[in-house]
Amino acid sequence: MLFCLTTQELMERPDLWEAVHRLRYQIFVEEMGWEDLRRPDGFEVDQFDHDEAVHQIVIRGNEIAGYQRMLPTTRPHLLTEVLTDLSEGTPPSGPNIWELTRYAVASGFRDGRRGVSTVGTELIAGFVEWGLKRGVDKVIIEFEPMWVLRALQLHFLATPLGYQRTYGNQQVVATLLTFNEHTLEVVRSRRNHHAPVLARGYPDMFGQRRAS
Amino acid sequence: MSQFDRTLEYIDQLQHAATAAAVCERLLGVTSDFGLTALMAGTVPQPGTPVGQQKQHVLLCDWPVEWLERYVARNYVDHDPVVSHMKQLQAPFKWQEAARGVSIDKSSGEVMGDAGSFKLRDGLAFPLITLDGQIVMVSLGGEAVELSAAEFGLVSLVSTYAVGRAMQLHTMAGRTIDHIELTPRERECLQWAAVGKSEWEISQILGISEHTSEKHLLNAKSKLGAVNRVQAVAEAIRRGYIS
Repeated sequence: MLFCLTTQELMERPDLWEAVHRLRYQIFVEEMGWEDLRRPDGFEVDQFDHDEAVHQIVIRGNEIAGYQRMLPTTRPHLLTEVLTDLSEGTPPSGPNIWELTRYAVASGFRDGRRGVSTVGTELIAGFVEWGLKRGVDKVIIEFEPMWVLRALQLHFLATPLGYQRTYGNQQVVATLLTFNEHTLEVVRSRRNHHAPVLARGYPDMFGQRRAS
Repeated sequence: MSQFDRTLEYIDQLQHAATAAAVCERLLGVTSDFGLTALMAGTVPQPGTPVGQQKQHVLLCDWPVEWLERYVARNYVDHDPVVSHMKQLQAPFKWQEAARGVSIDKSSGEVMGDAGSFKLRDGLAFPLITLDGQIVMVSLGGEAVELSAAEFGLVSLVSTYAVGRAMQLHTMAGRTIDHIELTPRERECLQWAAVGKSEWEISQILGISEHTSEKHLLNAKSKLGAVNRVQAVAEAIRRGYIS
């Protein structure tokens, strides 16, 4: 199940807030080595965790299995502020275009060594479902060029926004992905799972077992 | 028009290509400016994949035909330094770097030398990984290759879109990339079925029960998507699992 929370809603749930920002720290600072984000408290937080950000969280059992953050392009976002050299010319923006950032699958939920895990595809199904519901049909993602192939396999229409660059030992390319109902169908049939993934409401309190 | 706008135009054309051949042609239209005149992209066969199956791993191919024939016939894929380099690395690299990287065994040297005689002196290659974790290797080559670092990036990005388009066309044609895996026993049973042996005879030859040989043949039949044993044998021969 994938839960969508605003930053405000996330702050009202300290258990969840801590788990989200600790997972981000583990993956982006400790694993990927984004040293600019290193902090003594072990939480990864930046200026884009603002009141219009949407935090999408995949819960498995009583744990966070996956996470991504959606940012509106109608205000400053990573491509316009931080990763500016990934874009040739003015990046596209508008109410129907959001930026997907901090895509993360927790280490215990990466099924194979190489392929995309079921949590990974749930995140993809999640942002497509979420977007189609609220009139969003494009996302900007800064990802490894290899994801271009996967996006095309899932029938997204992909357009590069600039050339690929090397950051550390990682290659990154900013890409605009356009999607529609057909994309959602392809993603769902790839997953072999046709039920919606978006959950209503909030996850259970962490550390508390669900009454069964 | 800026170079980036041209890149976008190439990519747009690629995404509208209707056949794998059209994808090849459009991609080579871009890359030949840099001396890259030959192209090969496909999933990497496991070492020891029967020769008859190797061609089914190909997604895009505009490679000298005789070179391809020789490559398959001599099973160069198991010795090609570019292929083994690709299995370890994620980033694009030049062929010559791969050749330098391995202590050239006799066969590797032979592969590279032979490539040269087909006017493939250098090139670039990179692996991509599909949704389900299969490695797709992309290799572009030519006689006189000249690429700046920026052009290198351009070529690998445009090639990625080309492979993506080829995979879309591949699935649309209803042909999934072959990853049927027959067990050695299933293969043996099919091999004997192909020369007309009955289940009982196969069980005697292989020293297994009749029930077990029947089971192996049934499994092989369903893996190959065949409706009966004759079709299973024919399909296994066509795919190169048995001869």
